[in-house]
Amino acid sequence: MRRSRLTSRLMATTLPTAFLVGSVTGTAIAEPMIARNMSTYGLPGGIETPTAEALPDGTLGATLSWSDYSQRNNIVFQAMPRLTTVLRYSRVEGINDHNDLGHIWDRSFDLRFQALDESGWRPAVAIGLQDFMGTGVYSGEYIVATKNITPTIRASAGLGWGRLAGKTRPLLEDGDQGGKPQIDDWFTGSAKPFASISWQVNDKLSLAAEYSNDDYMRETRNGKDGDPGHLNLAAYYRFGENYEVGLYSLGGETFGAQFSFSLNPRRSPYPSGLEKAPAPVRPRPAVSADPEGWSGQWAQDPTAQPAIQTALGDALAKEGQVLESMALSANRAEVRIQNKRYIQQAEAIGRTARLMTRALPPSVETLVITSSADGVPTSSVTLNRADVERLENTQAGKIADAAVLTDARPYPGDLVMSDDLYPRFRWSIGPYFDLGLFDPGEPLRYEVGAEARASYEFMPGLILTGALRQRAFGSIDQKGPGIPGQRGEHYTPEEYEADPSLETSPEGVPRVRSDSRMYRSDSPTIPELTLAWYARPSDTIYTRVTAGLLERAYGGVSAEALWKPVNSPLALGIEINRVRKRDFEDVFGFRDYEVTTGHISAYYEFTEGFAQGFTAQLDVGQYLAGDKGATISLTREFANGWRIGAFATKTDLSEDEFGEGSFDKGITMSIPISWATGQPSRQRASSTLRSLSRDGGARVDVNGRLYEKVRDSHSVKLYEGWGRFWR
Amino acid sequence: MSKTAIRNTALACAAAVIVSACGNQGDDQNASPFAIAAKTTAQAVAARRAANNEPAAPPKTPEQMAAEALRVNPGPLIMVGFESLGRTQVMALTQENGGMRTYMTPAEEALIMRGGMVTGTRGLGNDLSVAEPGTEALIRASRTGSARRVMHYYSGDGLERPIDFNCTVAAGPNPSVMAESCEGHGISFQNSFMVQGGQIPVSRQWLGPALGYVTIQTLRP
Repeated sequence: MRRSRLTSRLMATTLPTAFLVGSVTGTAIAEPMIARNMSTYGLPGGIETPTAEALPDGTLGATLSWSDYSQRNNIVFQAMPRLTTVLRYSRVEGINDHNDLGHIWDRSFDLRFQALDESGWRPAVAIGLQDFMGTGVYSGEYIVATKNITPTIRASAGLGWGRLAGKTRPLLEDGDQGGKPQIDDWFTGSAKPFASISWQVNDKLSLAAEYSNDDYMRETRNGKDGDPGHLNLAAYYRFGENYEVGLYSLGGETFGAQFSFSLNPRRSPYPSGLEKAPAPVRPRPAVSADPEGWSGQWAQDPTAQPAIQTALGDALAKEGQVLESMALSANRAEVRIQNKRYIQQAEAIGRTARLMTRALPPSVETLVITSSADGVPTSSVTLNRADVERLENTQAGKIADAAVLTDARPYPGDLVMSDDLYPRFRWSIGPYFDLGLFDPGEPLRYEVGAEARASYEFMPGLILTGALRQRAFGSIDQKGPGIPGQRGEHYTPEEYEADPSLETSPEGVPRVRSDSRMYRSDSPTIPELTLAWYARPSDTIYTRVTAGLLERAYGGVSAEALWKPVNSPLALGIEINRVRKRDFEDVFGFRDYEVTTGHISAYYEFTEGFAQGFTAQLDVGQYLAGDKGATISLTREFANGWRIGAFATKTDLSEDEFGEGSFDKGITMSIPISWATGQPSRQRASSTLRSLSRDGGARVDVNGRLYEKVRDSHSVKLYEGWGRFWR
Repeated sequence: MSKTAIRNTALACAAAVIVSACGNQGDDQNASPFAIAAKTTAQAVAARRAANNEPAAPPKTPEQMAAEALRVNPGPLIMVGFESLGRTQVMALTQENGGMRTYMTPAEEALIMRGGMVTGTRGLGNDLSVAEPGTEALIRASRTGSARRVMHYYSGDGLERPIDFNCTVAAGPNPSVMAESCEGHGISFQNSFMVQGGQIPVSRQWLGPALGYVTIQTLRP
């Protein structure tokens, strides 16, 4: 079979050779100009001013910068080769709000688009929006050009509006909930020029100087502390490949320090992983050497399959694969495997194929490897054994051409379950670590404790799961939601619990998430206790029913169906939940609030054009507070499992009903642990940063949603990772 | 699981749970990122401690290693010196498939060779997926000429990525040695092969930017 265009596109890498050969020089011609230093705003820049530089595509980094005026914590992501995005959480001095702290903690968001590359006499040119949807403290826009003057000296000049022109825009008026693009302000007011120059002294040290028009009006108490001046200087020192420290002075009076680090998903410490070598393919002996094996007579022997299944199951177990069931005839073998180890399903399939050549009698010519997601078959890869023998130690594209990917056969047919697999009881005890972010009084809160988890699988697809947590210590305290009309004041837990009417905001919105900090207890808690049933009623439809304590704050029933043909980049889903709010402390108790929430979802994996590598998801439906609306998510996904995305939800709640932030939005990050350690594992370090716990656009957190369960063994994800078939 | 097994696991867990996780699911799933970090650290500490406590036994010389391996293992053996890793190891043939030979160390790292030329590595962290040396025929025939060599690597973004090199084959400094000089993408390397009747008993070959060179000596063909 010829490889489809889709397959070749997915397996083709656009990775610059430099990432493999380890040199960074010599490839910059066709790429955006790559940054030298990070600015205090966490983007490539001078010191405070921007430049037209970008980061290598896909880079995820952070810059922490401290000065007398501010503390800025920036997360940067180079979302596309020309698009740089920053999320910033800053402590800005000199502004007093309802919290009366003398400073505010402020979230802001930047975008920069590099419109032109440096070419000949022409400098690189970028256009940017700074703090374009926050409270507006840092709000400003710019156009900037950067040019290499000599190989070590780089100069930038630009034109800035708003903050960059020294005109700090007025903060939000009372009643404005912020958090949405302030398009009317963009590129308004007078523009002023800024400029910076940087000198790369050697590999590690670089110096920068700049002229900035920022006069720190608020930070200097409307100038009472004196104009800091406009000339800023900095020295940056790079150590290792990923770290940078900097010292800077703003106008010669104020000093600051910063620390940056960056990760590039394409640069893994162990690109091929440290897992052991796979078992080599064992070619079949000549017919004369094993006439009985080749004849297929062995298949008549009733002891043959159990013996082979046990041996293959043991070998697969060493590879982290559970042999769920197997069908064996004289010339065809099908195995169903649950991949518990490799982030790329193709590696699991490749290793299974290798082991099959070692375990099966020679007359078996057709090898079918069916991936099973917790008991539900999701896809089948069919291989000719002769191809596996012939194509071992060739590039993975060749076996991709020879393999056929189909929907799994829905019904077991002649599959024989492995012995002693079900019922399966698994448990674990370990520590847990919870983080709470974005509380203005205490921006970083944490909780540490012990967690026991257990699951009991009655049969493939029917699973009882539970978790029990005991807090040990931490700074996440029980706290009621904010008191309406008295910003900065919160109900005490006792007050809040005593008066059920407080569970609805004065605007009439039920508190479905804004009281989530009530869910904290010194006694044991049960974050999850569910019975889930996964099934596949037809070739392309998957279903899930989950009942019980779905998450810390809600219990009930959740039902989902997903249509996802194996070779389709499009999937459609529907989910309906009937849930009731759980009691704050009583582990099995409930409160009065009950709601039906559900969504119709569409998922699409982009496989060509500039959006290749992005997955989009659209959910339309009714949210936890009974509000109706839609969520759109866009995630950049790398073949190695890195995922970085953003989402936004708008519902029929008005901005005032929603409260601060106007609508729900956030970013998601997920990094496979194996990328960092080299040890094979399906574990991920994942995090969702959302603006605030608000009641609009909230969804119930059910584990085991189908899309993520199913797609690893479907065409886009499978072929993206196919390069590791022979790993 | 028997009662004793449960009790033993529980006891082991009581000790382990303070810093990391434990359970009955094997290493593949029960670890949270937190626990993996703890485990990785613990392993590093243990390794260092072991290294410190190691009695100062003189390391075996390559000759001793070769002699021991030849005595213990009746099959084909090679001795491989990884220059960048600073270690020399004996590798034993585990499987032959159509002229491709997979040699492995006891720790299950593999070197895959065809007639003495490296075509891949496995389990080394920066593995060479497949080498396609267009120069093979020239080298085996001890002829001079040029050809293309394509090396496929597992790249950090999870894909398999080819790098192509232009190579010339010429007689080396010593008789019966052929030198293959390759260049491309700003890197160059030189492989040396001792050719005897189309076979390559001794060679020094470049595996890739991270792994560098290996010297390979056939102990028993």
